[in-house]
Amino acid sequence: MSAVANRKMVDSRGSFCPGPITDLFKAYRAANIGDEIEVWATDPAAKSDITAWAARSGNEIVEATQEKDYLRIVVKILKKGR
Amino acid sequence: MARQLVVVGSGTGGTFAANLLATKLREKIRDDEVEVLLVGQGFRHYFQPGNLDMAFKGASPDAYSRDEIDLLTKGVRFIPDPAAKIDLENRLITTEGGSQYGYEYLVIATGAEADPGLIPGLKEGSSNFHTGPAGSQRTWESVHDLKKGKVGVLIAGVPHKCPPSPDEAVFLLDELFRHRGVRNDIEITLLTPYPKAYPAEKIAQVVAPILEEKGIKVMPFFNVDSVDPAAKKVYSLEGDEYGYDVLIAVPPHRGTAVVRNSGFGDEEGYVPADRNTMRIKGHDDAFAIGDATNIPVSKSGVVAHLQSKAVSMSIFSEVEGAAVEYKYNGRINCPMELGDRRAIFVSATYASPPSDQSPSLIKYAMKRGFGALYWSALSGRWEWMMDAYFGKTMEPATLTPSGSAELHR
Repeated sequence: MSAVANRKMVDSRGSFCPGPITDLFKAYRAANIGDEIEVWATDPAAKSDITAWAARSGNEIVEATQEKDYLRIVVKILKKGR
Repeated sequence: MARQLVVVGSGTGGTFAANLLATKLREKIRDDEVEVLLVGQGFRHYFQPGNLDMAFKGASPDAYSRDEIDLLTKGVRFIPDPAAKIDLENRLITTEGGSQYGYEYLVIATGAEADPGLIPGLKEGSSNFHTGPAGSQRTWESVHDLKKGKVGVLIAGVPHKCPPSPDEAVFLLDELFRHRGVRNDIEITLLTPYPKAYPAEKIAQVVAPILEEKGIKVMPFFNVDSVDPAAKKVYSLEGDEYGYDVLIAVPPHRGTAVVRNSGFGDEEGYVPADRNTMRIKGHDDAFAIGDATNIPVSKSGVVAHLQSKAVSMSIFSEVEGAAVEYKYNGRINCPMELGDRRAIFVSATYASPPSDQSPSLIKYAMKRGFGALYWSALSGRWEWMMDAYFGKTMEPATLTPSGSAELHR
């Protein structure tokens, strides 16, 4: 299976704090190690929240791009559970 | 035959919608042109914020529930037989008792349910104050004579009802243990999936120093994975663990069984609805309000009330032949009790996030005052005061002729 096939899209545009990180957590709960979660967000707090969570949880931000009117951030799941 | 307006769900939003429609349409009801049906969950109506008082102050549940029939305006036909299935395509409600009701307009106000069974070990290893009076009383029994140990308040799923309630829980526990003189021997910890003690930044800034001053610990980024009741440990997806003596959980929430069994809910059983009009996506004759929806706004009584009002006004307008719909602006107003008779209000709209504020006795008194007015507010009696307090919460919009034609299919 390709890496793209393991990528879950989470469109949180228009949703404000805590929407984007809440949506990310839902996807994280369903994800497997090696999966990627791509979050689209317009909430300015999303980047710092998701970056802090990834650092704390041992997961990796593989891409963070400011598109014209939203942030696109991709998290690779490296750690989940004990 | 009278035109059927059906409200499913008899909590805050459903009761208010039925009452408002019956009030606005009383002449048409009297003349048998319109019928307002409320298909309720049962005979009793529960004031859910009372769960906090039961769980952390030992309050009796008696003051927090009433017979639904006593809360209804003349003209509402009450069916105390829970809906089992909602058929949006054929406009048909089937109840658990097997009765069926067609509708011209539908309001779904079936709420959300907290289910500790969704996390392994959580049901056996914790108590909670989100499943009703019985759970709240068990929580009180677990803390009211505790003398020492570790008490964890765990947010085990988001979104959940009443966003401030986990913070309120730790503040009220602190107050309880201090008044009993055992605070120094009890550690209180808030375990939260969010980065800070409250998801909204400005409110987190208000709450953080008070938590620190009171010696309440916070474990952020804690998305619960499982609970081991025998070992009294809770584990997170992030790899952390927390050992406890008493665990009080905000269980994961989902939509109610009637939505999950009717085929139109999202993967968590919430009704997909427009965040402004509350129309169910793809169905212009059906609306969803309050905790039942997937709208990204607080699951709270105030939101249910304000959405209920906007939807009722839109239905009233359409029944009267006017092409006006009312758009809710995302107004929230959640009180947060901080202990020692202090409170703040988490207030916002879709366009403006919660702002900074100071805890005060006046806000605590307002929280208590709103609670005292709850029962009579369901009739719409206090709408003049609500309007003065909340300001503009919805915007009337004239439908275009083509839109009107689509809406009145």
